Amino acid sequence: MAAVQDGSIEPESEKEMKTEPLNDAAGNHTASVGGVLSSSPVAASSVGTPKANTGSDEQQTLIAVLQFLKRNKLIESVDILRREAGILEELDDTQGSEAAGAGSGGGVNAGVEGRDATSSLINRVSIATTAPASTPAPAPAKGGEDQPDVNVVLSAYSQQGDPVLYPVYYNGLKNFIESVLDCHRAELSQVFYPLFVHMYLELVYNNQENEAKSFFEKFSGDQECYYHDDLRVLSGLTKKEHMKGNETLLDFRTSKFVLRISRDSYQLLKRHLQERQNNQIWNIIQEHLYIDIFDGMPRSKSQIDSMSGSLAGEAKREANKAKVFYGLLKEPEIEVPLDDEDEEAENEEGKPKKKKPKKDSMGSKSKKQDPNAPQQNRIPLPELKDSDKLDKIMNMKEATKRIRLGPELLPSVCFYSFLNAYQGLTAVDFTDDSSLIAGGFADSTVRVWSVTPKRLRGVKSAADLSLIDKESDDVLERIMDEKTASESKILYGHSGPVYGISFSPDRNYLLSCSEDGTVRLWSLQTFTCLVGYKGHNYPVWDTQFSPYGYYFISGGHDRIARLWATDHYQPLRMFAGHLADITCTRFHPNSNYVATGSADRTIRLWDILNGNCVRIFTGHKGPIHSLAFSPNGKFLASGATDGRVLLWDIGHGLMIGELKGHTDTVYALKFSRDGEILASGSMDNTVRLWDSLKAFDDIETDDFTAATGHIHLPENSQELLLGTYMTKSTPVIHLHFTRRNLLLAAGAYNP
Amino acid sequence: MASPKTVPKDAQVMIQILKDMGITEYEPRVINQMLEFTYRYVTTIIEDAKIYATHAKKSTVDADDIRLAIQCRMDQSFTSPPPRDFLLEVARQKNQTPLPLIKPYTGPRLPPDRYCLTAPNYRLKSIQKKVSSSAGRITVPRLSVGPVSSRPTTPTLGTPSVQTVTTKVGTPVSLTGQRFTVQIPSSQTSVKSATPSTPTVQNVLINPSLIGSKNILITTNMVSQNSAGDSSSLKRKHEEDDDYDAL
Repeated sequence: MAAVQDGSIEPESEKEMKTEPLNDAAGNHTASVGGVLSSSPVAASSVGTPKANTGSDEQQTLIAVLQFLKRNKLIESVDILRREAGILEELDDTQGSEAAGAGSGGGVNAGVEGRDATSSLINRVSIATTAPASTPAPAPAKGGEDQPDVNVVLSAYSQQGDPVLYPVYYNGLKNFIESVLDCHRAELSQVFYPLFVHMYLELVYNNQENEAKSFFEKFSGDQECYYHDDLRVLSGLTKKEHMKGNETLLDFRTSKFVLRISRDSYQLLKRHLQERQNNQIWNIIQEHLYIDIFDGMPRSKSQIDSMSGSLAGEAKREANKAKVFYGLLKEPEIEVPLDDEDEEAENEEGKPKKKKPKKDSMGSKSKKQDPNAPQQNRIPLPELKDSDKLDKIMNMKEATKRIRLGPELLPSVCFYSFLNAYQGLTAVDFTDDSSLIAGGFADSTVRVWSVTPKRLRGVKSAADLSLIDKESDDVLERIMDEKTASESKILYGHSGPVYGISFSPDRNYLLSCSEDGTVRLWSLQTFTCLVGYKGHNYPVWDTQFSPYGYYFISGGHDRIARLWATDHYQPLRMFAGHLADITCTRFHPNSNYVATGSADRTIRLWDILNGNCVRIFTGHKGPIHSLAFSPNGKFLASGATDGRVLLWDIGHGLMIGELKGHTDTVYALKFSRDGEILASGSMDNTVRLWDSLKAFDDIETDDFTAATGHIHLPENSQELLLGTYMTKSTPVIHLHFTRRNLLLAAGAYNP
Repeated sequence: MASPKTVPKDAQVMIQILKDMGITEYEPRVINQMLEFTYRYVTTIIEDAKIYATHAKKSTVDADDIRLAIQCRMDQSFTSPPPRDFLLEVARQKNQTPLPLIKPYTGPRLPPDRYCLTAPNYRLKSIQKKVSSSAGRITVPRLSVGPVSSRPTTPTLGTPSVQTVTTKVGTPVSLTGQRFTVQIPSSQTSVKSATPSTPTVQNVLINPSLIGSKNILITTNMVSQNSAGDSSSLKRKHEEDDDYDAL
């Protein structure tokens, strides 16, 4: 073991001898105890050196070790140790009763007792070899006499060996990994970062401030560049009290970091760590890391880099194996009596034009149940009202006039700049038919504007409503109040900046979520607030209505996403699992799944039916700020602060594309109505258009890739980029394709 | 950035901290705000620590006091979200119940009225009616229930022995399904002379959202000078003067 070799080279032969019997002990007990015991060769070997200054503490710890060995009937090792330490038999017996009393029976305590002794010996070694550690030495020294108390102190160390030796362990591992074959080195280098962070946090947690600082200074520079933000946060964290308020780091400490390593590399690592008694690192690895082994070729550095970056490592293979129904729900038949023109439109629903309404879509898949689509009644959805059906008819009419976009036919972009927002514009949304824009501001207001010349009208007051003629044909017009009609309406109610806005599909409601922890439902008929949904007690960063209305999702600082229904004052589902704030929440087009992007750099896909997490996508190197599902439901695009847009295949759970080009956070992503073009808007004041058809065509999802998760991303960002459009000085925070495929963009002018 | 000789030392330290934390672009006012926050936080902690030290009868403030002060403030102002295992457990329980079926459309789908913000949060003052004045007239003030404080119409709740107010006025008590009796001791006639001759019914604002079911009985025990204790029960909704047993 590297640590031992640094420390004491002379008694190596002694150490070898003691190794076997003590390792037999390891075989008898749990791995944890065994791990500690295996460190006792260090202790035992050092017994030779401080023999000169054997105080009573020394004696007692040695005797404790002897007692432990005796209790476990390791006679040979007892003899060897006794011979080496020169302890007489009488002393053993007298101490034996004491020790037994103190030990208070039970194998566990015996193990602890042994551990106390050995750990105190380890500390003595550390004093001899490395920088003196003031805090751990006195406590275990005292513990020689007063063994139960030491349990408490040393339980902090658990079974991970002496924290003061951490730099030594880390260095040893580093040297080993640098010496392996190239093909394995990339994979094994994945171990560095989680190991570094866990060791550092362990040092901080045990109040070893100076050691932690020196450990950090020595090794933080070696880590990958995309972890620099995390490391900066860590550098400010030097005391245990600092950790208390930081839930993310506490979660990181208690959860397992997932690594995917090929079997060959794993065997190599395991063999090295176990054969040379590097059990400290082995124990740390076992405790904090989850190594997902796959059979096959080791991955290259670029493959690993593309998938790593998240706070929890990569995704386990089982995490992405659940079946996801990513197909779309069938559009219902519309039976409203139509005139000729509308009949034609109705047929568009199934397939290309046919005159007879009855013959609907025989040839296309929509007649048969798409195996990848969920059942219609998998989750309860609201039935269509008449107004919804009229909306759908309008939608279909517009769809006929839709422009087919493609690399040769790019959409025109209409940009809505919010002037005089003084950097207070925090959220924007358009209605589906692009008739209204809503903006959420940092001054806690929500403003709604009408995009069309038609002005915004509220419903009349109750007194006026009683005066109108209810039987007239245009009663729906008469209930509207023309006197207070205006271009824009301001909605007051929140007590903090409004971070998320969403219109309902039927344009009756508007949702807004804010830093005050509430999600408010506003009526667009009366322009007043209807409900405040309280559940998050911390800022809510994003909210969205379901494509069918009725349900909505919200995600915030408390790392939970909640699914609500407008008529329940408490959430229906809670999606817990992220390690850091949820920054973006989106519904799947079939409303059965919800995607959440988080500050822990992962995207999770949740099933609404039972709240399970069905997919975990890692690969971003910064918090995710935008998500977009493709209209056919199969793919997901995500944008983060690292400026990259990643494309994911939901069915297989793999990354299938990477779009590089933006230089700053991507805050807006939208697919065109038929999914041919992906538009992305970013803080670097540009809107970029990407060829998504081509990006999705290129994937070869054969069984091999699905099994191992190896992805080979083509470096074709340049080919996929169809256009870059720069604004004067306006970051783009929202994008929207109208029903005819005109691209609308919104942002606040920021000179 | 101002030249170093004009920037005070605190601000220089703050600039360095921001740089160490990787923040490179910020408005100049950020330094001021950060310094203000730091000053406010530190003085709060030190003041709290002083209080703890004097409580423990120590002459000087030491590190333990500071530590305690920081911890108490953390739990109060800078709370953090619950830990992950707790959240997972709560979520597991919540996700076990199946999604509720959706009732067919019967109007906007909103939660029950008490959870909505659709109720009026005001009530109009009723018109004051003329009542014949008499010497023994006693105006009955109403006690308000809820966050709206009552008008000080009884200057003398001054007979402490009689005073039995069952609930603390002013606390937002949820009065769902409770019978609620408030006894108001009599007011002296001498005081009444100061009040206008016509008894004014002082309507007080009662926040309707606090009052779930309408079981509130406000009983006023009026002991006038020339009559025995006389109680008239008033239902909250009916507030006409006729309900008063005027003597």
